[in-house]
Amino acid sequence: MTTSAEGAVIETEMLTKRYPGNITALDGLTVSVAPGITGLVGANGAGKSTLIKILLGLLTPTKGRAKVFGHDSELHGERIRTLIGYMPEHDCLPPDVSATEFVTHLGRMSGLPATAAKERAAESLRHVGLHEERYRQIGTYSTGMKQRVKLAQALVGDPRLLLLDEPTNGLDPAGRGEMLDLISRIGTEFGISIVVASHLLGEIEQICDHLVAIEAGRLLRADSITSFTETSRVLIVEVEEGAQRLADELSRRGLDPRAKQQRVLLRLDGDVTYDAVRDAVADLGLPLGRLQQRRHSVEELFRDAGEPAYATTEAMQATEVSDAV
Amino acid sequence: MPSDHAQDLMAPPAGGVIHDRGYRRYEGPRLGRAQIARGLCWHSLRSAFGIGRGPKAKIIPVIVAVTMCLPAVVNAVAVARGNPPVVFYGTYLFPLRTIAMMVFVAVQAPELVSRDLRSRVLPLYFSRPLRRGDYPAAKYVAFVLACLAMIEIPLVLLYLGTIVSAKQGHGIWTQTGELAGGLGVGLLWAVLLAAIGLALASLSARRAYATGSVAIFFFLTWTLAGIIYSVAGHSAGPGPALATSGQRLAGLISPFTVLDGIRQWLGGKSPGPIVAPGGYGAAYAIMFVVLLAASMGILAARYRKAAEQ
Repeated sequence: MTTSAEGAVIETEMLTKRYPGNITALDGLTVSVAPGITGLVGANGAGKSTLIKILLGLLTPTKGRAKVFGHDSELHGERIRTLIGYMPEHDCLPPDVSATEFVTHLGRMSGLPATAAKERAAESLRHVGLHEERYRQIGTYSTGMKQRVKLAQALVGDPRLLLLDEPTNGLDPAGRGEMLDLISRIGTEFGISIVVASHLLGEIEQICDHLVAIEAGRLLRADSITSFTETSRVLIVEVEEGAQRLADELSRRGLDPRAKQQRVLLRLDGDVTYDAVRDAVADLGLPLGRLQQRRHSVEELFRDAGEPAYATTEAMQATEVSDAV
Repeated sequence: MPSDHAQDLMAPPAGGVIHDRGYRRYEGPRLGRAQIARGLCWHSLRSAFGIGRGPKAKIIPVIVAVTMCLPAVVNAVAVARGNPPVVFYGTYLFPLRTIAMMVFVAVQAPELVSRDLRSRVLPLYFSRPLRRGDYPAAKYVAFVLACLAMIEIPLVLLYLGTIVSAKQGHGIWTQTGELAGGLGVGLLWAVLLAAIGLALASLSARRAYATGSVAIFFFLTWTLAGIIYSVAGHSAGPGPALATSGQRLAGLISPFTVLDGIRQWLGGKSPGPIVAPGGYGAAYAIMFVVLLAASMGILAARYRKAAEQ
């Protein structure tokens, strides 16, 4: 029951939105989103929320157009909204009703008959991991539980596409991980396409198949994550001492390493690179602390392609964030 | 295998999911936009009476309903004892109805609109198949129905209590005609008060402010109309026939006196809080339309803005 592979979930064409006061939120955005989990990344104010509002048919574009499952957002907003589940970025839950009541009501608002709304509300809440708590008033919930209720209400109408706006907002690291797992599971096991808007690139890349990056309302890059990361991967070699000596030795062996404090970063070209590192470390008798392969951090996807991504300080910092491989 | 199964049941929940039967798609029928809007209307109507909310939410609706029904009961007793009726269909007990409806609208209109604004739940409605105008429309229809129930049910009780004691068919016929007029006036009340109440309440996400603004608007205009009415009455001669233009126009200031002006202009006979508007009757009708249109305009603008945010 997944969407047809050839049909794009979302297509925009020269999509432009200007607000009064000559504020341009979207500036000629042309992008196509395939089925699967897509990360929509960009800094705050890049135009992510404006794009979502246009896709939902709530905002009229100044120029250009957007299509969701082939339906024009301006003409068929109502039809589109039967196919989409939307999870807003901000708090949107009343404190004085239970999650069950709330999600059931919103299920009815999605067009489900009363009994079906009740059943699907219970199921959606179960899918997001809320069990007995669901009979308690939402006001008593933790931030993590509230985020789950927000996700459940998006899921209740059995959408074909989920638009999730900053779903990990306000969560602690453990909560973030759980939320990302949940999203990943919904995308892969439930067969629902997902667009996750986020400003946290390191997070997004863990669960997305595709990536759309926008900046100042323009498309920066749209690509599949795997196709990009396969072409250039980075190996991190951490030694307790002698990083510079190791780098020199690796240079002699025809590699192109960069030493940073205790680390040496080098482009990974299969087993040859591993062998060279092993031999170099053994020859020099260095204490090897860590040997780790990582994918390119998403941040590097958007940097000037001419510069080796792993050579920058920012990339080093990104490495530390995305160490969990 | 059975032991494996038992182990599964005893195993701690992994990833927060115990018995995941997997995701099932919904293949059943889906309701259209009109039915969804009707569902929202019904949900809002219930909340106007505090149904589906805690016991505290029911206090004001119950007090107002009892207060509004009391005169009908008193009248029934009076008529049964052979006394003349004390309550009339057109005005009911005007001061009592005015105060009761002021309280009901001021307290319950925020229940319908301010809660959703405060908890910022509106984007969840707007991202569903409803159109932008459906939300305020459903809320408005629901609140008109709630106000109608508060106003018309006591009138029907009044009617029933009166005809029980009626001796001949003619009396019943007269009563029925008067009831119809009273119900018509009640409809005007509900239509206007619900609009003003929701419009003012929708401007504030804080319930207390919303209630305050509705109450202050009703009370201030009501007081102001009363003051101007009595000041303008100083130079008036005795009796309604000699009322000054000032007196005839003073009622335009408050929605409640506007409603009574229209009633008298349309031929309502029972004495009201103001003198008959006489030649200014059309001004009352225009004021009614202006107040209604302004309230609708505020509501529409409020939710247009909310949908785009």
